[in-house]
Amino acid sequence: MYPSRFRYEAPHTVAEAIRLLAAGGDNAKVLAGGQSLVPLMKLRFAAPELVVDINNLPGLSYHRADPDGTLRIGALCRHADLERSALLAGTQPTMAAAAPLIADPIVRNRGTLVGSLCHADPQGDWASVVLSLGGSVVAEGPDGRRSIPMTDFVTGPFQNLLAPDEIAVEAVIPAAQGERRGGYLKLERRVGDFATVGVAVSLETAGEVVRRAGIALTGVGASTIAASAAAAALTGHSLTAESIAAAASAAAEAARPRTDHRGSAEYKRHMVATFVERILTRCSAEPAERAA
Amino acid sequence: MAQIAAQRYTGASIRRSEDPRLLTGRGRYVDDIKLPGMLHAAFVRSPLAHARVLSVDVCAARALPGVVAAFTGADLEAMTVPGPDALSTLMGAAGPTPEFTLLATDKVRFAGDPVAVVIAESRYLAEDGCELVEVDYDELPPVASADFALDPGSPPLFANLGDNIARSRSRNEFGDIAATFAGADRVYDFRIDVHRHQNVPMEGRGCVASYDPDLGVLTMHAATQSVHVAKIAVTMRLGMEPDKVRVLAGDIGGSFGLKIGASREELATAAASRALGRPVKWVEDRTENLTASGQAREESFNVRAAVSNDGDLLGLDVTMVIDTGSYPGMGGMVPAIIEAMLPGPYKLAALGFESVGVTTNKAPYVAYRGPWASETFVRERVLDLIAKDLGLDPLEIRLRNAAPRTDPPAVMLTGRPLAGVTTRESLERVAKLADIPAFRRRQAQARAQGRYLGIGVATFIEAAPGPRSPEGASGPMGSESMRLRLDEDGFVVLFTGQMPHGQSHQTTLAQIAADEFGVPFEQVRVVVGDTDVVPFGLTGGSRSATMTGGVTLHGARRLKAKVLDFASHLMEVSAMDLQITDGNVGVRGDPASAVAVSEIARQAASGEFGADVDARLEVEAVFDGGEGGWSGGSHCAVVEVDVETGIVTVERYVAVEDCGVLINPAVVEGQIRGGVAQGIGAVLLERSAYDADGNFQSATFMDYLLPTACDVPRIEIEHLQTVPLDADVNFRGVGEGGMIVAPPTIVNAIEDALSPFGVRIYEQHLPPARILELIATAGSAQPSGSAQPGRSAQPGGR
Ligand SMILES: Cc1cc2nc3c(=O)[nH]c(=O)nc-3n(C[C@H](O)[C@H](O)[C@H](O)COP(=O)(O)OP(=O)(O)OC[C@H]3O[C@@H](n4cnc5c(N)ncnc54)[C@H](O)[C@@H]3O)c2cc1C
Repeated sequence: MYPSRFRYEAPHTVAEAIRLLAAGGDNAKVLAGGQSLVPLMKLRFAAPELVVDINNLPGLSYHRADPDGTLRIGALCRHADLERSALLAGTQPTMAAAAPLIADPIVRNRGTLVGSLCHADPQGDWASVVLSLGGSVVAEGPDGRRSIPMTDFVTGPFQNLLAPDEIAVEAVIPAAQGERRGGYLKLERRVGDFATVGVAVSLETAGEVVRRAGIALTGVGASTIAASAAAAALTGHSLTAESIAAAASAAAEAARPRTDHRGSAEYKRHMVATFVERILTRCSAEPAERAA
Repeated sequence: MAQIAAQRYTGASIRRSEDPRLLTGRGRYVDDIKLPGMLHAAFVRSPLAHARVLSVDVCAARALPGVVAAFTGADLEAMTVPGPDALSTLMGAAGPTPEFTLLATDKVRFAGDPVAVVIAESRYLAEDGCELVEVDYDELPPVASADFALDPGSPPLFANLGDNIARSRSRNEFGDIAATFAGADRVYDFRIDVHRHQNVPMEGRGCVASYDPDLGVLTMHAATQSVHVAKIAVTMRLGMEPDKVRVLAGDIGGSFGLKIGASREELATAAASRALGRPVKWVEDRTENLTASGQAREESFNVRAAVSNDGDLLGLDVTMVIDTGSYPGMGGMVPAIIEAMLPGPYKLAALGFESVGVTTNKAPYVAYRGPWASETFVRERVLDLIAKDLGLDPLEIRLRNAAPRTDPPAVMLTGRPLAGVTTRESLERVAKLADIPAFRRRQAQARAQGRYLGIGVATFIEAAPGPRSPEGASGPMGSESMRLRLDEDGFVVLFTGQMPHGQSHQTTLAQIAADEFGVPFEQVRVVVGDTDVVPFGLTGGSRSATMTGGVTLHGARRLKAKVLDFASHLMEVSAMDLQITDGNVGVRGDPASAVAVSEIARQAASGEFGADVDARLEVEAVFDGGEGGWSGGSHCAVVEVDVETGIVTVERYVAVEDCGVLINPAVVEGQIRGGVAQGIGAVLLERSAYDADGNFQSATFMDYLLPTACDVPRIEIEHLQTVPLDADVNFRGVGEGGMIVAPPTIVNAIEDALSPFGVRIYEQHLPPARILELIATAGSAQPSGSAQPGRSAQPGGR
């Protein structure tokens, strides 16, 4: 468990980091929290020739809301920052529910939300949370910035749309059209375990009516799955036993689980339905968060 | 009855003298050893479970700058002496012994089998070198299950065995099986499985081997449970004279049975050091630890139980298959212990025991905390299954069957007397502490709200060391030696073959010696871990409390007598009138006469005495275990099962233990807590999983899940008043009991929680997904017992 030889750079500006990445080509890797990259390097599953550590880049550890309610999370904002965030606790129920379920405190102190999105692990929790919220990733490269919707960002297991010379500088969650409700449930065999199944549900409601719904699934497919039919079953309706059951079975339908030592495909599918139902039932019983 | 001279320290929760050093990061583990010119080893390991090795090419690795050497299996074979497993030899294991080399030569036998070793200036470079080693394999059909291994058509792992039977089938009968089963009201058939899981010490295996070419001496810094057993392995496999090998050990980061002797990789590291004339370090990483260090359990049992309608367990007839993995050693020794222990504290009339051991393409079977633990799992599971079928309370069926404490004691069907066994007392006490009636009320209320709580009780006894056998002590484990000395600085120095790796010997042995000899606790030094100075010994089998505690007590008594004899010359007082208290020798009743023991020792060392005075203040003591005795206890768990997710939460855990006279209650409780935590892990989380092709599925902590503080509840512990058997040594071992009895305790509780679904459990590993399967399939199960004469097979539910 010792990595192969690599060159290490820790630039102080985004421009310099991009220059280094451009020169490094396919053999360069960005290092953010290192909680996924370093284990892969130790196992020699990843062997980059150049590691560009972005931890010295100034001004990227923020998470803040624009006046219109748009939430921006910088590339060096740690899981732990989000776990302790009063802003999230007050305005983002799905994110606030997910943050403490990621790994353990040691990993949360270093790992980043943006890094987790870039890593594109089908078992990563943030990808489904951000997907359910209709979020996007802002990438910066030699030609400036571009915004990539989360629906397009992940191109496969452990693959994203970034060019080798691009850095993801922030994640963006659009403002809610109405009141936010939602939650994240994760089946872990033990604290700190990766998800056997994770379910993110994000609703924007006006009165009792759901105006926008996002449901996304962790760990039950080759990538994070957007359960669009499940979300559609809720849009325009209020949360009733019938609409909840319809969403739950549509979500289970969308799952593509595989049988492995965490459980059978059937079990995982069952858990998807159970979790969708649990979150929505809770949403229907609880008052909505203040509009973001 | 002779007593310990003073009871100042013994019996008190004295703070561990090891802790200030270990807790402030000043421990010295193998990886902390850095010798001048030291090289680093890394192993090339087989990615395949079973294959012929066609060729191994290390040329490119050798050419890499920083790489000093690369050895293939053939190289190593030429550098070492072939032979069987050192531990098996020591323990006198019977049966055919597969022959194997330190590194694979003709074939690989499990995914992770070492094929070549690269020695380089750093571990980084050694691993770079490994990537350049090219191995050509010709894949063979994997033998990935015991069932396939039993099939005569399975390809043999070891040519010299001819098949995959590592321990040939044998059967023993105790009592009249036929009559007992014929006379029983009911006969049950169960198949019970225990899954493969493993020791995961914080510190894995490792060593620094340092060969001095000028002296021809090999010094090995080892992580081991016994420096002497490690030395035996080195001398055997490297073909060296005992006086040319020295094994040292410092702090050990846990072992649980893994680090006995020296592993193939450690011996290969030693051979490389000798070949190169330079120190070589190998410290296994976590992937190596999980993949290749060794695994345990994976045993299946076909159990027939003869029972009366009232719930008397009359007879058991058990067939056991043990999957010893590749390179069998320890696995071959387990069935005999299981057979001996199967009756437990119960009054069985007949026992049939048949066993067979197979070799498969998995990591080797190693000892893991209570290696024979499956006997308790099987027995305590069977009792609950029978109780359910007969509508008996689990506590009641145990009390009904436990042998009463009589004089002379009842004798276990397999031979040993159940002297001083307090099973009934611990069962009754644990039931009281858990307040079972109050729990049943709470359980009923919870069920009405759709919550599923369960309670489980299980009991065990452990031969730690076991009652004195009529033939007396025998074998290398049968007695314990110690050298004790009074040094000129006034310290009582104990030289012991025990090799502490979490047992707190530096504290507990010092407590006993301080009390018996008469010095403050801080004035005792416990020396371990150097074959040049400590006597033979092995830390394992929960034997050190009695064996080493006893030799410390008797040795300190003899050393005191010797010191007093010498002091009587010096002080011109009869030894009878002298005593040692608080580090001073003095005349009884005359405090002014006190002379520090350091002064006595200095006088003795001055050499100014005639031949008639024995001024050598040193003794060698040997202890055979005295009357010995059993450890044991009963545990109770309360669990809640989420029947939608399958998640089990252990809400409460109560242990009532009898490990004889306590030397240090805090140390005892630490041993119990650690064992229970491992037992909880075994049931809910841990599994060394292989797929059908023998690929290992649990090579990182992402997949091999260990319990954390969140999974282990506060464990409530109460100690029973023990029944003394020996004149003065009634300390008994407690190292393994927690891990032995926690699995059946937890599984019994889970089955109780799921009883509304009719769930019956015949296995030990119950992760969330499995819990839901059990619930889903429970409806289809049929009753498993049958009234005579029509006997039905157990439905199994799988
Ligand atoms: C023990 C353990 C348990 C874990 N459990 C969980 C869990 O339960 N749930 C979960 O979701 N995650 C879990 N993780 C993963 C953890 O959340 C990681 O922190 C996260 O996946 C990656 O974030 P990072 O900042 O550490 O990224 P890094 O490890 O630094 O990088 C990961 C990948 O993303 C790329 N990358 C990172 N940042 C950028 C960027 N700004 N621009 C471009 N590319 C970038 C890197 O090049 C690399 O390929 C666990 C990790 C560990 C070690």
